[in-house]
Order: sequence, then structure tokens, then C-alpha cells
Amino acid sequence: MRYFRIFLIHFHRVIENRSRSVIWTLLSVFNPLIFLCYWVAVYKSSGSMVGGWSLSEVTSYYLLLTFGGSFLIAHIEESVAIEDIYEGGLVKYILRPFSYFWDLYFGELGWRLFQGAIGIMIFILFSIFFQSLTTIVSSPLLIFLTIISVILAYTLSFLFKMLLGFSAFWLTEFRGIQSTAEIIILIFAGFVVPLQFLPSMLQQASFILPFAYMVYYPILALQGKLDIVQILRLLAIQLLWISFFACMYRLMWNRGIKIFTGVGQ
Amino acid sequence: MSVISISHLSRHYQIHKKEPGFIGSLKSLFARKYEMVKAVDDISFSIDEGEVIGFIGPNGAGKTTTLKCLSGLLYPTSGKLSVIGFTPFDRKHSFLKQISLVMGQKNQLWWDLPAMDTFLLNKEIYQIPTKRFTEVVEDLSVRLSVKDILHVPVRKLSLGQRMKMELIAALLHSPRVLFLDEPTIGLDVVMQKTIRDFLKEYNETYNATIILTSHYMGDVEALCKRVVVINFGHILYDGLLSDLVKEHAPYKIIKVIFSEKVEEGKLSEYGETKSFVFPEWEVRIKHKDANDAAARILKHLPVEDITIENPQIEDVIAGFFLANKKEGK
Repeated sequence: MRYFRIFLIHFHRVIENRSRSVIWTLLSVFNPLIFLCYWVAVYKSSGSMVGGWSLSEVTSYYLLLTFGGSFLIAHIEESVAIEDIYEGGLVKYILRPFSYFWDLYFGELGWRLFQGAIGIMIFILFSIFFQSLTTIVSSPLLIFLTIISVILAYTLSFLFKMLLGFSAFWLTEFRGIQSTAEIIILIFAGFVVPLQFLPSMLQQASFILPFAYMVYYPILALQGKLDIVQILRLLAIQLLWISFFACMYRLMWNRGIKIFTGVGQ
Repeated sequence: MSVISISHLSRHYQIHKKEPGFIGSLKSLFARKYEMVKAVDDISFSIDEGEVIGFIGPNGAGKTTTLKCLSGLLYPTSGKLSVIGFTPFDRKHSFLKQISLVMGQKNQLWWDLPAMDTFLLNKEIYQIPTKRFTEVVEDLSVRLSVKDILHVPVRKLSLGQRMKMELIAALLHSPRVLFLDEPTIGLDVVMQKTIRDFLKEYNETYNATIILTSHYMGDVEALCKRVVVINFGHILYDGLLSDLVKEHAPYKIIKVIFSEKVEEGKLSEYGETKSFVFPEWEVRIKHKDANDAAARILKHLPVEDITIENPQIEDVIAGFFLANKKEGK
């Protein structure tokens, strides 16, 4: 209950800053829509199927990516690295009898839910006008499992971004590693093209990296492209990655906090 | 009974040193030079419950580092620390619920929301019962005269109002130990006095132990009987502020306004002239001779007004640091 009340207080802040959420969501809508225009042109010239995907599947994929970009991917690495570690803002968190991780987790969850809701509304609006171009999971059991995979995907991306931010304990220049991570996520999470369209070597790499389990597979599940076994496999892999990142989190936090000097405070 | 005890505390930092310019950068690329900085070096002292201690020293003396070690922010290089029976760096929740650190230059308030929202977050974080929370917010906001602005976004408040809200946020859980790092920095004199009066009242009401660092000697003078003076990571003095003043400023200042012209040469027999611009004269006289000298001045000189003052505490402390620097301490 205490955690829920803390989440509600954070969420109140998100609502107060709703214009910021709308702008960020519109930005995350922009990229998939450009890709969508490109694919519509490809389908017009190539026929009804490309790489085993129909036009409605590709359309749904990119529309759901707007939700993926706004809900599934946490955007905390910059504030962790710059505001909290470089500028010393971490001081206020570590002197509170509450975990830094959960404080940020619930704070970020508020933003993601609000922006994700806008993403969903865009999808629903599009579905109303272009019903034949959208497909989505319909079985209640699959919906339930997909929701779990979406929550795990958010947790996975949150943990990864935390670790990325923690690199600032040791690095004096964080922007380089942040930009590199952004490009890697863009490709391997499926933001550019569905991973099935990537060259086989990159496809193989995407299976062993965690990024596809943050966005690509949860979106396939939302589309109804995964059966129950595939979703269960997805959940298992997500849990494995979360466990690994949780261990890394503890290790990096325990070491980093010992060299943190609270500069700027 | 000691609430805080520090035994041989040291905190050293390794810093990277680089020669200026491109060549320096190239050299640093292949052979980095590091230097060890001893921010705090082997200091020991203890503080009793309810005491208010002034922790003073110039910039870079080691005050904030000590405060950070005591509050559990920094891991000490060596030494033993105990604050209300806890080792600070363990940062146990039961420890954090009994302390608070206020830094004048940084804030914990949400900039875009009213201070009350941060208070509500702290209520949940510190698990303060609703009744207690309401009472404390009421009490503190009345004492600090901010009741009517609790629901105004923080960004709309003045610096002084923000500082008051920071104090409320830091005191909601009624901490037993309060670390204050420059709490009045940047505030005008009226606001400085308000904050000092409030802290004094808080200490008396809640018997809270307070460690205060400040460059404004007014803060220290108003709040602290005992001071710990630190420089270059070492403790130079630990004792009563009044003793420090007596020891390092064994004189008083007599200020005179003359009613008619006086020969400057005649003034030297009364003491060491600090300044003389007719009609004002300031003379420095030994503590024990001050009353006698004042009587003689009144008898022999054309005096319109006379006052006897203690030297400014800033001057005493500055003199103390200077003396220690000369002695190479």
C-alpha cells in the first residue's frame, strides 16, 4: 500500500506536467509513422506479403511501436548519470529510508503509463479509421500473459537504463556510452525494422542480446503473432535477463556508492 | 551522553592531475598522474545529545566532508564513526529515520509542484502517521510563517521561502540529529535571523542535536556555545566559542565620537588606534584595561558619544586561522 501511495504521488507530478508527456509521446510517434509510410510504398510495389509479413501486420507493428517507444523504454539514464551522479542529486535519495531503485521505478512508471496511454489512444484511433490495417491479440489468456510480458519488458529496460546511468560512477563522459546504447537499442529492439527483416547475423545477435525482449517480442505478443508457448518462453527469457541485471545493479550500486563523493552538493 | 562520536576519522580522495595544454593532455593519455587529497585527516571528537555545535573553517577545510561522513553519504577511508548508535555508512533505515541533512545550496523539493507534495512524499517515505504529519506541518509552517504558501509551486517562491520549506521537509520526521550545511547561504539578514531563531527553538523544543557549518559567524554566534574549528582536514580547536574569542581576541574596541578637534598624537596614550577620521576614533584596548581607559577618555577628551564593543567574531576567527597558518598547523 505504501508503494502504491508513493506511486500515486509521483503520478500526480506526471499529470501536472502533462504537456511534457504529450510532446514526448508525439516525438515517439513520429519515427514509426515515417517507417510506416515507407513500408506502405514497399507493399504497393511488391505485393501483399513481404518477408512473410502482411501490410496489416507491418502497420500494426509500427503503430504498436509508438506504444513501445512511450511505455516500454525507460528514459532515466540521463538523470541518473548527470543530475544524480555528476551533479550530486543522489544525496537526497540515499539519505531517505527508501530504496533509490523503487523511488525511480515508480517515478518513471508514472511517466511511462501516461505516455503509454497516449500511445494506446493513437492506436485505437487508427484502428477505428483503418480497421483492416490493424491486428491485435484477442484471446483472454494471451492478453493476460502479454500484459505480464509488457510489465517485465518495462522492468528490463528500466534496469538496463539504471546500469547505463551507473556507468557515470566511473566515467567522466557519459554521453558517448549513452549515444552508443541508443543506436544499439534502435536496431536490436526492432525500432527500425522488425528483427525478422535483419540480415541473419544481426538476427542471431538480437536473440542473445536483451533488447529484443524489451520491445520487439512484447510487440509481437500484442499483435497476436506469438502463441502461448512462445509467450511463456519470452517471459522466461525476460526473467533471466532481469535476474542478471538485478545482480549487476547490486554489484554496481555497492561499488559505485563507495566512490560517490556528492560533488556539486 | 554522546550521540555522535568520531574516532580518528580520515577521508582521502584520489584526484587526477594534468598539465595544461595539448602536450599535457597527451602525457596524461599515456601516464596519468594521481594525487591523494586528505580532505579529513585523523579527526576525533564527540557530541552530546541536545548540543548545537558550530563546525567552522575556510573553504576546503573538510567541514562538508565530515558532515557527509556523519550522515552516511561518504564512506570513510579510515576511523570509527557512531551516530545515535549506528555506523552511518550502513545507512540502515532506522538510522536514516532519525537524522536529516540540510544543504543550503541544494534542495529536495520538487521544483514544479507545491512544497506540500514533497511533504506528502516524505510522509510516506518516513512512514509518518497522518495525525502526526498534520500536527508537525501545522507547527512548523506556523513557526516559519509559511502556512499560506504551502500550496504554491516551489518555483514561484523566493529563496528565503524555499529555504523554510526545505527545513520543514527535513524536519517532518522529527530527526534527533540534524546536519546543517550552510543553511542561511544567500539569504538576507532578516531571513538569516528568522532561520536562526527557528533552529534555536527547534533545538530547545525537540532536544535535537545539531551540527552546523556556516561562513556566517552570526549563525554560529547565535546558535552554538561550542565550536569545532577545522582547517586542512585537521581540528585546530574544540571548545567554547567564548573561550576562543577570549584567547584570540584579548581586547575590546572603544568607539568614540568627538565634539571638537583633538590632536592625533595625544590619542596614542589610551591604546592602539584602529582608525581615526574626525570626529570618529576607534581604539583597541586590552580586555582588563577597557573600563579604566573608557573612564580616562571621558574625563580628558571632548567626547560626544562612546561605546565599548567586543571585536567582530569574523575578525577573531580570521585572526585565528592566520595565526595557525603562520605556525604551520
